[in-house]
Amino acid sequence: MFPNLRRDVVFPVFGSVILFAVFVAVGLAYQSQFSGAAERLVTFALIDAILVLGIQIYVGNTGILSFGHIGFGAIAGYAFALFAISPAEKLKRIPDAPFGLLDVSVGPWMAVAVAVGVTLVVALIVGVGLARSGAESGAVSATVITLALLFVTHEVARNWPDLTGGDRAGLSFRIGGTLDSRVPIYIALLAAIVVARLYAQSRGGRLAVAAREDDLAARAMGVNPLVQQMVALLISVVVVSVGASLRVYENGSILPRDMFFNLTLVTLVMLIVGGRRSVTGALVGVAVITVGREVARKLGQDGFELFGIGLDGAPLDWIFRENLKSVFMGVSMLGFMIWRPAGLLDDWELDKWLHGKLGRRSASPPESLPPVEPDDSSVLVAQGVDVAFGGFQALIDVDVEAARSEVVGVIGPNGAGKTTLLNVITGLVESNSGSVVLGGTDLSATRSFKIARSGLVRTFQNLRLFDSLTVRENVEVSYLVAAAHRRHRPPPDVDGLIAAAGLWEQRDRRARELDYGTSRRLELARAAATAPAFLLLDEPTSGMSDSESLVMVEQVRQMAGLVGAGVVVIDHDLNFIIGICDRIYCLDCGQVIAEGTPAEIQADPVVQAAYIGSTAEG
Amino acid sequence: MTELLQNLIDGLGRGSIYALLALGVAVIFGVMHLLNFAHGELITVSGYASFWALGAGWSWYVMVPLIVAVSVATSLLIERVAFSRVRGADDFTLLLTSFGVHFVVSAIFLLYVSASVKTFPRPTWVTNTYAVGSLRIEVFDTVVIVVTVATLVATTLILQRTTFGLSLRAAAADFDTARLMGVRSNSVIRGAFALSGVLAGIASVFWLMRSGSTSPTAGIDPMLKGVLAALIGGLGSLRGAVLGGFTLGLAEVILRSRLPDSVASLTEGVVFLLIALLFIFRPQGLISVPHAERV
Repeated sequence: MFPNLRRDVVFPVFGSVILFAVFVAVGLAYQSQFSGAAERLVTFALIDAILVLGIQIYVGNTGILSFGHIGFGAIAGYAFALFAISPAEKLKRIPDAPFGLLDVSVGPWMAVAVAVGVTLVVALIVGVGLARSGAESGAVSATVITLALLFVTHEVARNWPDLTGGDRAGLSFRIGGTLDSRVPIYIALLAAIVVARLYAQSRGGRLAVAAREDDLAARAMGVNPLVQQMVALLISVVVVSVGASLRVYENGSILPRDMFFNLTLVTLVMLIVGGRRSVTGALVGVAVITVGREVARKLGQDGFELFGIGLDGAPLDWIFRENLKSVFMGVSMLGFMIWRPAGLLDDWELDKWLHGKLGRRSASPPESLPPVEPDDSSVLVAQGVDVAFGGFQALIDVDVEAARSEVVGVIGPNGAGKTTLLNVITGLVESNSGSVVLGGTDLSATRSFKIARSGLVRTFQNLRLFDSLTVRENVEVSYLVAAAHRRHRPPPDVDGLIAAAGLWEQRDRRARELDYGTSRRLELARAAATAPAFLLLDEPTSGMSDSESLVMVEQVRQMAGLVGAGVVVIDHDLNFIIGICDRIYCLDCGQVIAEGTPAEIQADPVVQAAYIGSTAEG
Repeated sequence: MTELLQNLIDGLGRGSIYALLALGVAVIFGVMHLLNFAHGELITVSGYASFWALGAGWSWYVMVPLIVAVSVATSLLIERVAFSRVRGADDFTLLLTSFGVHFVVSAIFLLYVSASVKTFPRPTWVTNTYAVGSLRIEVFDTVVIVVTVATLVATTLILQRTTFGLSLRAAAADFDTARLMGVRSNSVIRGAFALSGVLAGIASVFWLMRSGSTSPTAGIDPMLKGVLAALIGGLGSLRGAVLGGFTLGLAEVILRSRLPDSVASLTEGVVFLLIALLFIFRPQGLISVPHAERV
């Protein structure tokens, strides 16, 4: 569940308590400074924080923009109101309430539980829809589905007066007055912060983030993004439902427009201004925007009167007008998207920072690991693979075999079909016919993340790292997959692999800051950390100098040895292939034209003509 | 049968406007990968221009070119101020930038005009109808359909016959390759915004003639229609956008006339629901645009 108890549980909980304390203290200070309406303002800021944290759990970790969370809030809000309002009150507003809701009355906290339950059911359905629409990180269609949810809930709320009290009257209630103590809000807020932080550090959160960073690479490491996105959605909806119920409770009423565009805008602006990828950021955003809106509102109302200067007809009168608040919100959203799309804090977290400062750090790299003996029972066999793209035959009846104890190379000129072969083996391209079998299990027509879990893990020609994660976090994603799906193998040692890949010094740097050669080594280490049966490497030396290629030979051998994996490597760097491989296949125009030891391949006249000859001439 | 024919004509009239809006959305999506949630602002701004000009006693004949000009100018201005700064950003940033533009534009009208709906006189012939057999056809719908068809033909000619059209289609098919082939990204993007402004301008004229009003949030409805129609057709496909527009118009008219009264007011919700279902079962839209990612 959590890779490291201290870093992923103790510090986040500790950090959450600090965040909570600071946030509440700022609120109370503000409230004592500006009495009167300030109290209500702070109460709503506390509730908004819960909503924003709920949205952050989904939007921040999956990278999918959702307009629908306030729609979930509307469902929760109405469910809460319908169950919490007394029958007498309901008789006044909605005498024809359907489903026998008229006589139902439970305590307010029971009603919150009902609201959460009802909303979860809707979220489950919406989540299946999102998954079906092929929700990728940032996918437009997913965003539109969430927008549809927001509009549909609003339309239903407006047009079903028997249930909701309609557009004008709404539902209002006296459950012994509105929420008369802030204690429940405090408890819910603290819980929301803890949940958001723990989720982000948990296995599910990390896998969701991996898919956010690079959907394809995450699948190739064995992550099923759709499942992780669903988990994120359900957790976030629970938090949003609680927040929405509290909002209705505190307000004492609910109207369709309470949970519509306006609140969606406010919560989204809070989230993106603070930094959508950070829980700390979400709270900062709530504080900044709450204060900013209030200042804008007062300036709009009173102009300079606010500061007691009272400059009538001052030169800024053209901007200090009523509704300045709306301009402030719009400009905040637009300005941050243009100049600082990651928000004020990007993905900075208080507890991560504290852990970096206070955490025990092992200064020296771990002892070198003993290699794992490859068990030679599982052989990789690709047989009769045919692939056509339209009228173009990319692969024609290709047979390739590899054992765990060997390094097998595939060479061939550009366009020979090397990468296509790798794509077929790892499930990214479907073959027209033929089969891929690993240790007796047929993997043809299996989805790529399942293939990865079965032990075929690849790297990419054009480098696909999880860019904003650190080196260590990149490798941990694979570790988490291995720990769940490859239990029969010895679990990979994250630190050991990082050290062996020569990444120990850079382990806390972000992947996007690494130089090219280091990024290649990280991609190799990340693949090895899934404890694969075979490592499939797509041009690991592309863009490297000759001396770097030689280092890569050692790297590949070492990494494969450490996890007991066989290797299939594609490259057109002949020196590299000959230096590393036990056996080589040569592809040309989609067909295997030769197979043998490096020496045999070098001597083969067909190969020379098709490949070496052509490069020599060119 | 008569009712179905009647629905068909009403739906084509309504769908024409959606098709023009959707085509504008699709053109911009093609060159920038931006789903433009600010597209409706062109109608909001044109609406206020109409409110002031018609209030000053201008005639609708002058308004038609004026509205188109205002729409094009607004489209180019929005590109310059906002979208040119986020070119190449991720979907998340692009989507929220366009939402930000929507909110800023509506907030400006909120600040300097007011939240209330402003009305202006509509041309008198808008509500006239004539009979063909047992069908009652609106003069307005007829004009809309004729003008839309003419616009679509002209747009097709521009796209097929001019260098700009070729650049635009190439950019829509594969922006990066188009750039490598010498398509100038600046001019093609600005051209796309201008074209999208013209299309939205024509749609604006009809939209405003029919509604006779504007407000700070008046852009939301046409924006949603345009975006949804473009999505129905399959984003990025220009033909799909037009098809999506007509489909959406027909679907609305048919649902409104066929649904039982108790749910008729829910038409919008039902349309949304149908679209969500379409995405779920056919995420690529009616016309799928093939695109592959090289790994």
